[in-house]
Amino acid sequence: MPPHPASRRAPAAARPQRLLAVLISAAVLGGCASFSPDGGFAAVEKTAKDRLGKDVQWARSDADQDSIAKRVGELLSKPLTVDDAVQVALLNNRGLQADFQDLGVTEAEVVQAGRLPNPGFSFGRSSRGDEREIERGLHFNLARLVAMPLIGRMEARRFEQVKGRVAMSVLSLAADTRKAYFTALAAEETVRYMRQVKQAADASAELARRMEQVGNFNKLQRAREQSFYANAALQLARAEQAQRSTRERLVRLLGVWGTQTAFALPERLPDLPPSPLELPDVEQVALAQRLDVQGAKQAAEQTASNLGLTRTTRFVNVLELGVMRNSSNEEPTQRGWEIGLELPLFDWGGARAARAEAVYMQTLHRAAETAINARSEVREAYTGYRSAYDIARHHRDEVVPLNQRIAEENVLRYNGMLIGVFELLADARTQIASVNASIEALRDFWIAQADLDMALIGKPSLAAAAGPAMAAEAAGAGH
Amino acid sequence: MLSRRKMLGGAGAISAAVAAASVSKVAMAALPEPVIQTKPDTMPPLVPNTGRPYNPVVTLNGWTLPWRMNNGVKEFHLVAEPVVREMSPGFKAHLWGYNGQSPGPTIEVVEGDRVRLFVTNKLGELTSIHWHGQRLPNGMDGVTGLNQPGIPPGKTYVYEFVARRPGTFMYHPHADEMVQMAMGMMGFWITHPKGKHPLIDEVDRDFCFLLNAYDIDPGAATPKIMTMLDFNLWSWNSRIFPGIDPLVVRHMDKVRIRVGNLTMTNHPIHLHGHEFLITGTDGGPTPKSTRQYEVTADIAVGQMRQMDFLADEEGDWAFHCHKSHHTMNAMGHDVPTMIGVDHRGVAKQITKLIPDYMVMGERGMKDMTEMEMPLPDNTAAMMAGTGPFGAVGMGGMFSVVKVRKDQKRGDYSDPGWYQHPPGTVAYEFTGALPDPARFKADVSPGPGSMPSMAKPAQDVEVKVRKPAGGHSGH
Repeated sequence: MPPHPASRRAPAAARPQRLLAVLISAAVLGGCASFSPDGGFAAVEKTAKDRLGKDVQWARSDADQDSIAKRVGELLSKPLTVDDAVQVALLNNRGLQADFQDLGVTEAEVVQAGRLPNPGFSFGRSSRGDEREIERGLHFNLARLVAMPLIGRMEARRFEQVKGRVAMSVLSLAADTRKAYFTALAAEETVRYMRQVKQAADASAELARRMEQVGNFNKLQRAREQSFYANAALQLARAEQAQRSTRERLVRLLGVWGTQTAFALPERLPDLPPSPLELPDVEQVALAQRLDVQGAKQAAEQTASNLGLTRTTRFVNVLELGVMRNSSNEEPTQRGWEIGLELPLFDWGGARAARAEAVYMQTLHRAAETAINARSEVREAYTGYRSAYDIARHHRDEVVPLNQRIAEENVLRYNGMLIGVFELLADARTQIASVNASIEALRDFWIAQADLDMALIGKPSLAAAAGPAMAAEAAGAGH
Repeated sequence: MLSRRKMLGGAGAISAAVAAASVSKVAMAALPEPVIQTKPDTMPPLVPNTGRPYNPVVTLNGWTLPWRMNNGVKEFHLVAEPVVREMSPGFKAHLWGYNGQSPGPTIEVVEGDRVRLFVTNKLGELTSIHWHGQRLPNGMDGVTGLNQPGIPPGKTYVYEFVARRPGTFMYHPHADEMVQMAMGMMGFWITHPKGKHPLIDEVDRDFCFLLNAYDIDPGAATPKIMTMLDFNLWSWNSRIFPGIDPLVVRHMDKVRIRVGNLTMTNHPIHLHGHEFLITGTDGGPTPKSTRQYEVTADIAVGQMRQMDFLADEEGDWAFHCHKSHHTMNAMGHDVPTMIGVDHRGVAKQITKLIPDYMVMGERGMKDMTEMEMPLPDNTAAMMAGTGPFGAVGMGGMFSVVKVRKDQKRGDYSDPGWYQHPPGTVAYEFTGALPDPARFKADVSPGPGSMPSMAKPAQDVEVKVRKPAGGHSGH
């Protein structure tokens, strides 16, 4: 067993007063036996500020709660931008507040771990004939004292981990809110366009009805036009349902209820940026920035030092140091100390060391996996972002203008009585559908952007963007 | 052997240009210089200054090909090539034709003339010319594969024969003729009689034109050659009204109009204000005993008709195909009938989606002639012709025979609109007339020859909606 600094100091503590002084100094040296002023929240705040440019507030009192409510009320009073939405979610999401409480819980545990165990005192009185023996003992878990700086460090690391996890939930909440925001906004826009489609279908159904009324259409022709209308009504109902459910998803992330849920979203999705981000060294950036990668690295380092700790303390954890004072009525009082040591006869601590090694190796593999996944995820997110950009731009620059040109040409053909009003209306439906498809492509771009942002700082939840399928309707509306 | 598909694939403008460039200059030097016409206007008659004299024709929106005499032989040079034909002002078609125009120039010869025709092919594919209706040696008849090999791109072939019988003829390709005729390759041929002919009267004015039809999508320029019957442009000499010139005559002129049909349907050609006699067919002059006065001559596919009349009624007389769809320009054939459909409310709704939308057709199609609305590029408005009293509501195979007292002999220039003598124009009735005695039937109508067995379960009530007001309300 290697000599331990604490155990070397132990004989010097022959007198209880001196021993006490050592204990106090050890507690002070441990350094984490008291609560921090911010409860570990500063780090989370810093992450939110640096990575998102947003504020987070830990609602620990009614006053906090009030200031949060005030700020949220202000943000919700005008049409919500995506940044406002993220800010509202970060302030107002109760799940996040619950995560913040994790900090408190962990810090309390950390502080607890830093506190010295209470020393024990034993008193015994026994008699043998006339001899009465009074035995008084003060004992103290020495091993705990010896290991305290190490345990303190471990606990501090655990606290760091929790801080990291809470910071991660801040980032994920922000990303989820962004995605939900764009989805809900696009769904609202879609409803608007589906109303237009239905309007066109309404017009053709009504015209067809009047055509039949005056004898220009037969029942079959009228029914055909009416079926467009029936389909459009169905599409509109679906779009409205999508709008409601996507909005509710956003509501949950914002943590709003009651009258607060009446917040307004802007009319349109933000425009496509003029050019996409060029990120040639996206993997390096991600590896340097990502919290999960950093966390995995830290975990590996921590288990490495834990492994060292286990190796060094495998004998000492059973070490017990006691102060002893025996007094007898017949003899002078006996003073001294006693130490109990478990004989490492059967358990040499080898199993624990092996376990720690295995855990360490496990952590190493986990760290490697995290890094590999991070690279892949960020690549996927970036290609997703790029293709979403290209698709949205293609919609904006090619598909929509083309359909617009077709619509214009069709009006000219209608003017020349080369096509009829029903063809014109069918074409209007197709054109509206193409505008809507463009909105959906834009929405997918912004979602991909949110995924990419997340992938650069933490583990993203990459999912194929799905929206109400308009393509079938567009094709069906053909002439 | 090349498949049709392959031939078509190579027969674009580019290959045509390549073929044109590859015509040997040396070979061309010996030929009569091809005369190219760049304008679609009606050219004055070409009075012959060499060869036998004759009374020349006027080709409606066309011209007559000059010739050169070579040792007593009349030599013409036709160049088959892609052309741009203005079918009406503002609407140009990419056609194939001869010497710069489609149809090609009219060839006028005299009975007994020895004729030598050089045909240069500047198309991207084989061609040939069939001299429709001529008596000639079999090897000159121009049917590719049957009478001769096709004329390859860039080559010049010679046809030579004697114009044996007087009459009205045509020429057109007999190689890939479905495509080449759909693209506008055709022309008129007139063999004038040598001296007096008992069945052919001398006339003061002699007009000729070919009936042809194209299917060109509005905004496009090239005919759809696969169209069989559903053409959208019905033309005379590849011109559509109001792009067709009027037939200007002097009062009391003897007038001859020769019409050939190279469309895929018959055309009842109808003249207002006069009766005419059919004095000639594909077979030559008709016997006098067969002639009867008509106001409409049905001209079947591939037929020629020659109609003579005395222009003894002054005025602007409509002259047109009596198939009413043939007096229209490009229009949709699947456009629903909107007559009588109330557009109130709906129109506003549609305008919200399609701002440029305008209600049309709920009173009829004549609206079209009154509205000036933007149309696709390069197309002809449906019924754009305007007369002195407003929109004529006509297009396609429609023209006007203008009979004027003060028109000079040989002057074909447009005299403007007819000035009607006072009291000779239909007028609005404003007064009241006494109630006329009306005939009253005293017998009930019979039961019909065959009473129907199955009657409809219930009477279908059909209401006639009369147009009320104009476009008010939308």
